[in-house]
Amino acid sequence: MKNINLNALKPAALSIVSILFSLITGGIILLIIGKDPLHYFSLLFARGLGTSLGVTETIIKMAPLMIISAGLLSCFSAGLWNIGVEGQFLIGAMLTGWAAPMLSAALPYPIYLIAVLLLGITGGMVWILIPAVLKARADLNEIITTLMMSWVAINLVTWLVKGPINDLATVPAQTKLIPLIYRMPPIPFTRIHIGLIIGLISLLATHWMIKRTTLGYQFRVMLANKKAARHAGMNVARLTVYGLLISGGFAGLAGACDVLAIKGLFQGNWNPQYGMTAIPLVFLARLNGWAVIPLSFFFSFLAVGGEFVARDLDVPAFFVHVLEGMTLLFFAASEYFEK
Amino acid sequence: MNDIFGSALIAAIIASTIRGTTPILLAALGETYAERSGLLNLGIEGMMVAGAFSSFAVALNLNSLFYGFLSAAVVGLTLGLVFGILTITLRVNQIVVGLGLTIFAHSMSSFLHRVIFGNQFPILFGAGGTNEIPVLARIPIIGQAIFNQHWMVYLTFAMVPVLYGLMYKTRFGLRVRAVGETPLAADAAGVNVNRIRYYTILLGGLTASLGGAFMALGDLAFFVPDMIMGRGYIAIVVVMLGQWNPFKVCWGGLLFGFALALTSAMQVAGINISPDFILMLPYLFVIVALLLFTRSTNLPSSLCVPYKRGADGK
Repeated sequence: MKNINLNALKPAALSIVSILFSLITGGIILLIIGKDPLHYFSLLFARGLGTSLGVTETIIKMAPLMIISAGLLSCFSAGLWNIGVEGQFLIGAMLTGWAAPMLSAALPYPIYLIAVLLLGITGGMVWILIPAVLKARADLNEIITTLMMSWVAINLVTWLVKGPINDLATVPAQTKLIPLIYRMPPIPFTRIHIGLIIGLISLLATHWMIKRTTLGYQFRVMLANKKAARHAGMNVARLTVYGLLISGGFAGLAGACDVLAIKGLFQGNWNPQYGMTAIPLVFLARLNGWAVIPLSFFFSFLAVGGEFVARDLDVPAFFVHVLEGMTLLFFAASEYFEK
Repeated sequence: MNDIFGSALIAAIIASTIRGTTPILLAALGETYAERSGLLNLGIEGMMVAGAFSSFAVALNLNSLFYGFLSAAVVGLTLGLVFGILTITLRVNQIVVGLGLTIFAHSMSSFLHRVIFGNQFPILFGAGGTNEIPVLARIPIIGQAIFNQHWMVYLTFAMVPVLYGLMYKTRFGLRVRAVGETPLAADAAGVNVNRIRYYTILLGGLTASLGGAFMALGDLAFFVPDMIMGRGYIAIVVVMLGQWNPFKVCWGGLLFGFALALTSAMQVAGINISPDFILMLPYLFVIVALLLFTRSTNLPSSLCVPYKRGADGK
């Protein structure tokens, strides 16, 4: 313990303080609408972490958050703003839901699983390719283009799932159900699917890539000073495309995992909006892969607990997103105290 | 017969172009000033949702459109002030603050909507409606389309020349532009950089929120949390297309209003394409328009750069 550098703890402390402030402000909001905040938060803990169901659900929900965060780590570390993870997620999920029932019949299980996951990654990458190339070639603001592509994706998947890839045997607009034996396997002795392990590996691999490899070093130079990167002979255009493609690929992978492990099919109106959680999360983690792990656990707990408590206390589950937005604002404010 | 149908369709498209342009243009006009002074406000989307929700909830509960618009104005100014305190006074990252504000304002509106209305989406009777301008409204075809609109539409388009004049013909406008280009020089010349930036972000918050309020009270007469559908971000694109000049911004806004109007006209005309497919088009259109018309080299030099007195200006 004595080797811990106190200065290194300051960032963590600021992130935790931001979360505390947002919980306190959230409590005040609950008071205003006439709910008992202490009751709400104690029930949140009891439902989210007090039962084995809650803990399992919380851990399951960490998988997509960690996978998407891994992608965001790589592009944010290069100063690239992929705000449209929702679109890449949906395209990955849609492709998986469409292709998995066909591939499962044609390929042996392990190859099928890898093929489907790769398909999800490809979907996410394809979806960010246009913003990436436009950013690299024409310097078009990627915040706008990724967001616009996200809206395109939301409408595109709805259209596809109602028509071209619809399972005609069912009434709702959805793809064919993936048979249970072709879902993603669980970690032995648990209900938790291996997406959690994929998430951990993605996260730590990305962290290592950013901190220890040439590519990661070039990303960090780009973040610090794009001109300097260019003068040092780095191919900024190519790095831009790489950084964004990596983040899109991970978002697509998260979509594939959710369809393969949890949903079992793809529905047109399904959009879990993980971006709203993952973006604040990666900032709070200060682009540190290790810090993403406890934070995903916390935000996933909030989401799961929030869903449970919504039914008991009549506090809409949107409240969790309110807390996330406030956390990001308090975190932004805390930046000031670091200067 | 065909002729009458054709002119009716044209009139309908003109009318819906103008109606669709209004919220985007209103938000874009405020953002023009904010960006000119060096502030990129990604919170517009959230401010529009908050304006739409607060105006709708208040108008429904007090049964008064006036209080509805008033509450949207208060909410917009408040959110603008929050953005200002964080980015101007505390000098923290504008992109992070903007995203945080959008997530917060959007989910807060959805949350309060559920708390107040449960799963219901009531309709506000008496909202919408148009104010006909005498004489002009009797011009064939375009008269009814242009001069029989909600009063906010006239207000928005009237603001374009006013804000143009303010930007290019007054000392205040000169200061806004100076503060966005070289705050150090502006400061040396005795301009209070941060105060100017507070003015522009308050204007930006106000117009964004009123743009949302127009959608809820002037156009649709109901509120659903996802009704803004990216219009806040489209407003930012319109500002870029318009090169931070209110008149050009107005043309940019009309371009998108036209794209939206064509989208709905295609649906009404019963062209055999799924509406979900047609709904993608305006967003693709944004990307194409950005690619064709923007030169990022014209950005205000100090966009996204906080100003600190006594620092070396970089």
